[in-house]
Amino acid sequence: MAQTADYTPEELMAVVIAREVRDGETVGVGAVSPIPAAGCVLAEQLHAPHLTLIILDSEEYYPFPAGSSELHFLAQRGELDLFFLSGIQFDRRGNFNLHVIGDYNSPTVRMAGAYGSAMLYYMAHRVILFRAEHTRRIFVEQVDFVTGAGATPENVHREGGPALLVTPKAVLAWDRAAGEWVLDRVQPGSSLEDVRQNTGFELRVSPSVRMTSPPTAEELHTLRTVVKEKLARSYPDFVREKILPD
Amino acid sequence: MGVPFIAVRGLLHSDILKHRPDLLVNENPFNPGEPVVVAQPIRPDVAVFHAIKADRRGNAVTPGHRDDLMMARAARRVIVTAEEIVDGELTSRDAVDDTLLPAIDVDVVAHAPLGAHPCGFGSLYEHDDAHCREYMAAAQGGDSFRVYLERYVYGVGSHGEYLERVDAARQARG
Repeated sequence: MAQTADYTPEELMAVVIAREVRDGETVGVGAVSPIPAAGCVLAEQLHAPHLTLIILDSEEYYPFPAGSSELHFLAQRGELDLFFLSGIQFDRRGNFNLHVIGDYNSPTVRMAGAYGSAMLYYMAHRVILFRAEHTRRIFVEQVDFVTGAGATPENVHREGGPALLVTPKAVLAWDRAAGEWVLDRVQPGSSLEDVRQNTGFELRVSPSVRMTSPPTAEELHTLRTVVKEKLARSYPDFVREKILPD
Repeated sequence: MGVPFIAVRGLLHSDILKHRPDLLVNENPFNPGEPVVVAQPIRPDVAVFHAIKADRRGNAVTPGHRDDLMMARAARRVIVTAEEIVDGELTSRDAVDDTLLPAIDVDVVAHAPLGAHPCGFGSLYEHDDAHCREYMAAAQGGDSFRVYLERYVYGVGSHGEYLERVDAARQARG
């Protein structure tokens, strides 16, 4: 268990995300999301060459004539297959928090806010949540502020919602009928016990829970060459610090 | 658009609605029983844009594909600062891969080279990392922010003077 993996947590997450991207999909990535950006470009290189990839603030992956409103309107039309969101807290019921820690009027932490995420969480067909830290301060029983709700009543128009939650320790899958996360995969280097100890809510374990297959040599090679090069301009610090030399 | 309100998707059962009086939940008149969020228009008194270039009539080119035109039209008054003031008239041909703010939507133009500082500006210049750090340290609170404002905002008579002080601080840093 203590052995050092020959890839970074961010590389593992990018590979896990890449495997979820299906060929031919229309996929959106936010402006400060290098992990899913790397995952999507990796998927495009390996198995999804017909991806329509939209990365906000990117020149290469931006198929629109105007600004970020284009991505939001596309999602409102129900034409966005997959989107990625992170947060400062997540809870069992699929709620995420991008706003404040503590009381709204005197918070200990105030973030920049939701931007379009409270719409995208409902209108993208699938949303993969991701966070490079898996601890009890982030995985809580109840988020301090619901930026986007995991479950909503039947009369709320919703094209989709949460699908997966990816961390360096686990992949949680959304159980739509139960309205809660279930442990679907344990990441290499972690264990069921490790995941439970670092999750601040009661985590149901899927009967088919398994270990994630570790990144393959081909996945890592492509990530560390083509993908790294394509992201270098938008995310110089990320590719230097989080993606290892080939 | 000039409409009194607009319907938006999502947001229902988010705490955002508790804190935003400009977002209300209404029934979709075309689909009874369906709740939908409606938003009040945002009409800023002033919007300020920094342009790559502008002409004397007020046409301006801002970098990249952005929603600048929407914001300019929402605002009651629009100020453009520009790296360069050009002779003649700018048209959409001058804004290939960029955004043209037409003179009809612009009220005031000012010449301000390096006007985006300490942010970067398209492909023209990178953001000033050292100055951003200086700002962030000052903005932590206490007296330091007042000192920052005195040095870089209230204590300078022009944008040129501001840039001189930024340059002096850079040289002092070595």
